[in-house]
Amino acid sequence: MRVNWKFFAKRFGQMLLTLWIIATILFFIFRLMPGNPLVAYIDPTFTQEQQEILMRQFGLDKPLWQQYFVYLGNLLQGEFGDSFFYKDSVVDVVSKVLPNTLYLMLLSLVVAYVIGVLGGIVLAWRRGEKIETVGIVFTLFTRAAPQFWVGMILLAVFSFKLNWFPSGGSSPAGVVYSSELAKLLSPSFWHHLFLPALTLAIYLLGLPLLLMRSSMLDVLGEAYVDMAMMRGLSERRVMFKYAARNAALPVVTAMAVGVGYAVGGNVVVETVFSWPGLGRLLVKAVSASDYPLSQGAFILIAAVMVFMNFVADILYSLLDPRVSLDGRG
Amino acid sequence: MISNKTLRSIVLVAFCLVSVLGTAVFAASDAERVIRPLYILTRPQASSPDEFESATLIANAMKEVGIDARVKVMPWEQMADLVWYERTKWDMTGWQMTARPERLDPDEFTYNLFHSSTAETGYNFVGYINPAYDKVAEQQRVTVDPQKRKELIMKAQQIIADDAVYDFLVHQKIGIVYNNQVFAPDSIKEMAGLGIKNFWTYIYATPVGAQKSMILNSNDTVQAVNPFYISGTVDSWVTELIWDRLMRMGIDGLPKPWAAESVKWIADDQVKVVLRKGMKWHDGKPVTAEDVKFSFEAPMTGEVPMYKPFVSIIDKIDIVNVNTLIFKLKKPWAAFETACLAKINIVPRHIWEPILKDLQQKPENAESYQEKVPVGSGPFKFGSWKFSEEIVLEANKSHFQAPKIEKWICRFIPNMEATLGMIQNGEINFLATYVGDPQLLEQKVKADPKLTMVSSVDLGYRFFAMNLRRPPFNDVAFRRAVLALTDRWLIVDAVWKGFAVPADSVVSPALEFWKNKNLNYPEGGVEEAKKLLKAAGYEWDRKGRLMYPKGKKEELAPAF
Repeated sequence: MRVNWKFFAKRFGQMLLTLWIIATILFFIFRLMPGNPLVAYIDPTFTQEQQEILMRQFGLDKPLWQQYFVYLGNLLQGEFGDSFFYKDSVVDVVSKVLPNTLYLMLLSLVVAYVIGVLGGIVLAWRRGEKIETVGIVFTLFTRAAPQFWVGMILLAVFSFKLNWFPSGGSSPAGVVYSSELAKLLSPSFWHHLFLPALTLAIYLLGLPLLLMRSSMLDVLGEAYVDMAMMRGLSERRVMFKYAARNAALPVVTAMAVGVGYAVGGNVVVETVFSWPGLGRLLVKAVSASDYPLSQGAFILIAAVMVFMNFVADILYSLLDPRVSLDGRG
Repeated sequence: MISNKTLRSIVLVAFCLVSVLGTAVFAASDAERVIRPLYILTRPQASSPDEFESATLIANAMKEVGIDARVKVMPWEQMADLVWYERTKWDMTGWQMTARPERLDPDEFTYNLFHSSTAETGYNFVGYINPAYDKVAEQQRVTVDPQKRKELIMKAQQIIADDAVYDFLVHQKIGIVYNNQVFAPDSIKEMAGLGIKNFWTYIYATPVGAQKSMILNSNDTVQAVNPFYISGTVDSWVTELIWDRLMRMGIDGLPKPWAAESVKWIADDQVKVVLRKGMKWHDGKPVTAEDVKFSFEAPMTGEVPMYKPFVSIIDKIDIVNVNTLIFKLKKPWAAFETACLAKINIVPRHIWEPILKDLQQKPENAESYQEKVPVGSGPFKFGSWKFSEEIVLEANKSHFQAPKIEKWICRFIPNMEATLGMIQNGEINFLATYVGDPQLLEQKVKADPKLTMVSSVDLGYRFFAMNLRRPPFNDVAFRRAVLALTDRWLIVDAVWKGFAVPADSVVSPALEFWKNKNLNYPEGGVEEAKKLLKAAGYEWDRKGRLMYPKGKKEELAPAF
């Protein structure tokens, strides 16, 4: 394949522009929102002097435009500032919970897409049969069921009734893993991860399944599939090798975007299972008006999403040569 | 010549004109006197059902006397911002004061909440100005004799009730549950106004089985573990255990010597403290009088702003010998033991002095410094901290009051329903935080013999604050009518399902010594409210809407 550098440069420029716009919107949106970071400190012993010290410390004593340029300047140097409440750098705070979020989101994403794609193939192939009706109703049900409700049911059954799984956190009380690798190798970590990942996978399943099914149905009408059948190839071979491969295109794009979304975590599942992830941290940061933390975390999420969109574009062209990178295909 | 008939007609027309105009003028002045819609701020029902339901009950009662009261829902952050920073722009708001050990002394609630000096930018956000009250609040501060001070505190409570400054609701009953198969019931200590979730329980709790750790829950996470930073709730539980203080609030709610062997008032403004011998920092170095002096002097610098108000009364600290110090105060302060000696964390000078020196050159201060392994001298040592998940403290076995448990583990669990399952299946053994339905909790505990619930009346209280800067709340008669309309018993039964007691002052009934039990507090419902309003000159228009007394008119636009 010929690499089109001009196209890359153009897309890269667009990415930077998008990020700058996002950074600007983020800066103003949090400051325009009702609320005030000092509110967290309101106390009978809270003095005027302390209020002024805090404003100075937070850099909120300067005019807004000045704050904005300081912020942009810092961003260019990769500096996100310190969280108002955790008193630690935003990157450090986020990196403490980001791995947990990624484990949870990626595991459930992979499970959902593997089952979803296979399910979609089967449902399309068995069109009109009973299994299709049951399958679609079930999928719509999993997609429509609120995540907190599914989570609570799983907790009630598998955790509190059967006692098979722990009900919260990423490790048993008092256990400290020596490293991230030790954590990943520990069975108890996976034991804790199971229920939240299952809850999320149940929710995520619907999209790839329905997408794959409808895409398969399109492909199944194509002449080359009939041709393959006529050549006497096995059903399985036609289903996977000929039809599914071509039908997978929109699913791949959806998954790439899904990975982008995954970085933001999932506040509902994290709250239900007390999972120490980014979603919970973000909600807290936004409601407490912790501007640096909310801005930094959202910029990070935006950057990953913009990048994953870019990746999706490229994957698309790799999988379907008819789509060219310069958009003229 | 004008005929008689014409004259009669002119008189008749004139009379009609006058009466029509008169009625119009009268009606106009009536309309101007009608009180504008009054807004009661509350947090959303989902996050604070009790506040929302109480606001609805009060609004409905106000409607019965012709006040157009409306409930306005806002998230806490937005509401607090408005109440605190836009002090002239709201009418009435739900609010609460929470229990903390230093609040066992009534000074903070008596002085900081109502003294006129805190009206502009401090906690007197309602704008209560009463020189007579100021005098009492100031006097109780400098009256070291407890009996004399008690009289002043009683008087202060009566003035606040007479002036109807707060519309008090309830003191909540805090139900805390523990696993009685893990801890011996007599080793769990109940503290006045704070319940069994307190320092003494953590020290005395004695394991009876294989589980040697206390695993408790919080719906909040730890922000920082720093002896110089007052931050979240759990942070304060943790700092209390890692760092010693010269005194501790005892089970009876009074300050007791702790790291001090003795605390003696040698004059009204001088306190002699003898430090306990043989104390050691968690890194093995001895605790000295120098460390103590440093700990109280550090907040006087600009590097520890949050603790500054607690030490600003100290003039100087003299070291008499290796373990004796004399605190000289600028003037007598009755709450000195509670609000200063039992509040300031004693920190190792050898660790913090270089840090503070370094920070002087930087824009940050001590609040933003996080030690890798925090070092104190307290009954628990820092173990580990998993961000957003849990914090683990380990028993300091060489402490003079070594805990009986091996580890104190606080898990951060935002899902309240899940905590109920966890206390039942043993994942936690001390339910320290529960903000769900108290009735449900009680049922669960009754059905499970291994669980014990201890219910205590809270030091804190819920109330609705009225903005005294805005008419009609600047009129004491109107405020008394609002208090009379607030049926606190109904709120206890309907909103709190009996898990609360009615409140009538800032002092909880849990503090028997300071509580004024014979308060004359406005009550009596709609009839009494109408009587109070009528006596103060308020009237009702034809539609039954409440109007200001004659001569006054509504000058403010509705708040929303």
